Amino acid sequence: MDKSKKKSLIYRIAALIILILIAVAMFIIGRGHTVYFDNKALEYGEKSVDEVPYKIDVLVNGEKVASLKAGERGMVSTMGQNFNMQLLVTKEKDGKTSKVQVGLPLPYSMDGIILNLPGMLAGLPQDAYLEEFIPTPSAEELEDEEVVTDETEGLMDFGE
Amino acid sequence: MSNKNIGDYLRRFSVPIMFVIICAVCAPISGLSPSYLANEIVTRMGRNAFLILSLLIPIMAGMGLNFSMTLGAMAGEIGLILVCDWQIVGIPGMVLAMIISIPISALLGLFCGKVLNMAKGREMITSYIISFFINGIYQLVVLYLMGPVIPIKHSTIKLPRGYGVRNTVSLLSMRQKLDNLIPLSIAGVKIPVATFIIVFILCLVIIWFRKTKLGQDMRAVGQDMEVAKDAGIDVERTRIISMVLSTVFAGIGMIIYLQNMGNIATYSSHSQIGMFCIAALLVGGASVDKASIGNVFLGIILFHTMFIVAPKAGTVITGDSMIGEYFRVFVSYAVITVALIMYETNKRKNKSRASAQLALEQEEEVNG
Amino acid sequence: MSEQTTKNTFQDKVKKVAEEFGLPRLIITGFLVLLLVISPFVGADLPTQISNIINRFSWNGILVLAMVPMVHSGCGLNFGLPLGIISGLLGATLSIELGFTGPVSFFMAALLATPFALVFGSVYGWLLNKIKGGEMMIATYVGFSSVSLMCMMWLLLPYHSPNMVWGMAGKGLRTTISLEGYYTQALAKILQINIGNLSIPTGALLFFALLAFLMWAFLHTKTGTAMTAVGSNPEFARSAGINVNKIRLISVVMSTWLAAIGILVYEQGFGFIQLYMAPFYMALPAVSAILIGGASVNKASIMNVIIGTILFQGIVTMTPTVMNNMIHLDMSEVIRIIVSNGMILYALTRKTEGAK
Repeated sequence: MDKSKKKSLIYRIAALIILILIAVAMFIIGRGHTVYFDNKALEYGEKSVDEVPYKIDVLVNGEKVASLKAGERGMVSTMGQNFNMQLLVTKEKDGKTSKVQVGLPLPYSMDGIILNLPGMLAGLPQDAYLEEFIPTPSAEELEDEEVVTDETEGLMDFGE
Repeated sequence: MSNKNIGDYLRRFSVPIMFVIICAVCAPISGLSPSYLANEIVTRMGRNAFLILSLLIPIMAGMGLNFSMTLGAMAGEIGLILVCDWQIVGIPGMVLAMIISIPISALLGLFCGKVLNMAKGREMITSYIISFFINGIYQLVVLYLMGPVIPIKHSTIKLPRGYGVRNTVSLLSMRQKLDNLIPLSIAGVKIPVATFIIVFILCLVIIWFRKTKLGQDMRAVGQDMEVAKDAGIDVERTRIISMVLSTVFAGIGMIIYLQNMGNIATYSSHSQIGMFCIAALLVGGASVDKASIGNVFLGIILFHTMFIVAPKAGTVITGDSMIGEYFRVFVSYAVITVALIMYETNKRKNKSRASAQLALEQEEEVNG
Repeated sequence: MSEQTTKNTFQDKVKKVAEEFGLPRLIITGFLVLLLVISPFVGADLPTQISNIINRFSWNGILVLAMVPMVHSGCGLNFGLPLGIISGLLGATLSIELGFTGPVSFFMAALLATPFALVFGSVYGWLLNKIKGGEMMIATYVGFSSVSLMCMMWLLLPYHSPNMVWGMAGKGLRTTISLEGYYTQALAKILQINIGNLSIPTGALLFFALLAFLMWAFLHTKTGTAMTAVGSNPEFARSAGINVNKIRLISVVMSTWLAAIGILVYEQGFGFIQLYMAPFYMALPAVSAILIGGASVNKASIMNVIIGTILFQGIVTMTPTVMNNMIHLDMSEVIRIIVSNGMILYALTRKTEGAK
């Protein structure tokens, strides 16, 4: 009797620990980021990058997510801390295309991250080309909305 | 004898048959193409099956239709809102939301089971009121505590006034991630394979559960509480467990449902869910005291076909889009009403038959 | 049994009263008293508040009174109140459609609602006699079904009065219909007393008093006592030669008719007819009001109705103003949901009532 109780207690604790472990794992692998790519000039003290390639194509997981002319910005939503992408850089119009494989860890605390691609390609340190993207809330978001809460709401309108 | 059997069958399947007729009449009028219909029904099957399956366990335990499945739905929504704010996306986000919802659901299920044990004989109306009561608590948490007490960072979720959650929370980051995990399309019909696999696993779990000691106990309690008590079953505990299981499943089901929908209607998603899950199950031929997995799937097909075609057919016939909307709501409620009435009349009939039997036996004893 | 009652001392009696009154009710009463006490300090005008409560009482009293007959006959709480409300709405819209105006339209609405209430009530009562023991759940769904059916009907029925139908389409009733020029304040205006900010709708209160008195008198007639007997012990009632089904049917019809009249009185106070989903929102407040007043699933008195309506409406009207003035946070809606449903839950789970 006592033994079986002990056994079931152990099972329960084990199940709890497994659940917590899964939760922790999900926290790590499931963190979503929005990565923005800038094909823009970058000022960084003496090592400023002024020359901007004519065009950069960004491929993530073999899929083209952005094609950036000079001065343009693209974005992709990613999951997890390791970010890998392939850059197809065209220096000049009708020029040759070079392929660059880039992989970098993303900081956990940032939701949105801006990567300055020319700066990155020029080999600048990370704090130069990586910047947090802080969204400015749109006017629509700042507008107060009336919260509709009625206990019988949903009894007549079944949604889709 | 066989004549009576046919009558019994007809009565048992009267609701599904009625629905087949409604669908058969409305579908051609609505003018919707068969491929569109097939697509919609497969999607809805994936979306709703898990939720409706969560209703089976309390029925097994004789506690009737679990109107308080909305409690689990609320727990699922809280999990999703938090996960959204933490920016955990995709499948991991869903899994995390499920893990968060489980303790909340279990706690609510425990509360619900305890209350229902105090209200034996009127479980359904009590569980119905519980769903309203807990909705009040849910609003307290989501509307006032989220923000100052439970941290919410993102302005896309939090109201500009600094506390409370917006009317709708977008789940774009996990929208249909589970459905599209294993992409498959047959003859133009998109099939959410991964969702179906999870539903299938739950079906297996329910079938297995029926055969376990606990499942057997539950059925015994459902048959007759007094007899079960005499047989040494802890009736109250068994009933509580059935509520906890149902609520936890409902929470997980709600997360699957919402990942398909792609957004949460923070203050109404859960109350909508309770009504049409129960209606769908009853349309599938289930009754208050008997329901099988087959009923669930038949119910989804019939109920949702009606749900899709009725408004369109109503618009075509009357020229007013609202008529069809009201019609489907009316049919849903009418189905539940009819099912409840049939259940109660059967119960009375059986009771009077049993007491007549008893009287007869006693008479025989006296005579003998 | 009789020995025990004679032995009861005064102290026991007090204890029993307190017990019967119940802890939740004490808390709610205390809460309301607290609200009334602090309201002047947070800048709310007490006379306005009190006349608000009295007004709200006059609107809702009869809807709560409609609970009494069914509780007495053992049919439980009438969650099917929307059915009666629909009869009332049919009477109200017909009265306007037929061109009655002013206070006469109120009288005609009540008159026209009566046959509907009698027919619907009879069918409803017949149904509830078939399913003894499961009344409350089925009543709820009868209410839902009838409201959703009527939603279609409001659109389809051939109403034409330009004051009621959608202007654009020229058909289908509007969701809210103004009673300006019809029977708004029809009862309230009779003998109305105005002292500063305090206004008392004497006519509406008298009307409630009249119906409440009739109900009280009815419960003391032969049929009324039979009703109580059926509610407290159907087996005993049957053996005493009472036609249980007939008595239950009468109680349901009465309840439905009172709901029909109740909604008309509500409308004359509120000034609008609310159609479509509105009847949905009416049943639960009435149910919880009578429970807050001290009724239980199978026991209710006129006193319960009066106390319950005052307490419930008091909380509903006082919390928003007091809370808004005090902490600029309007939690009244949430409080109302928790209190009213908590009260119903409390009544449903009380063991002493005995599950049927």
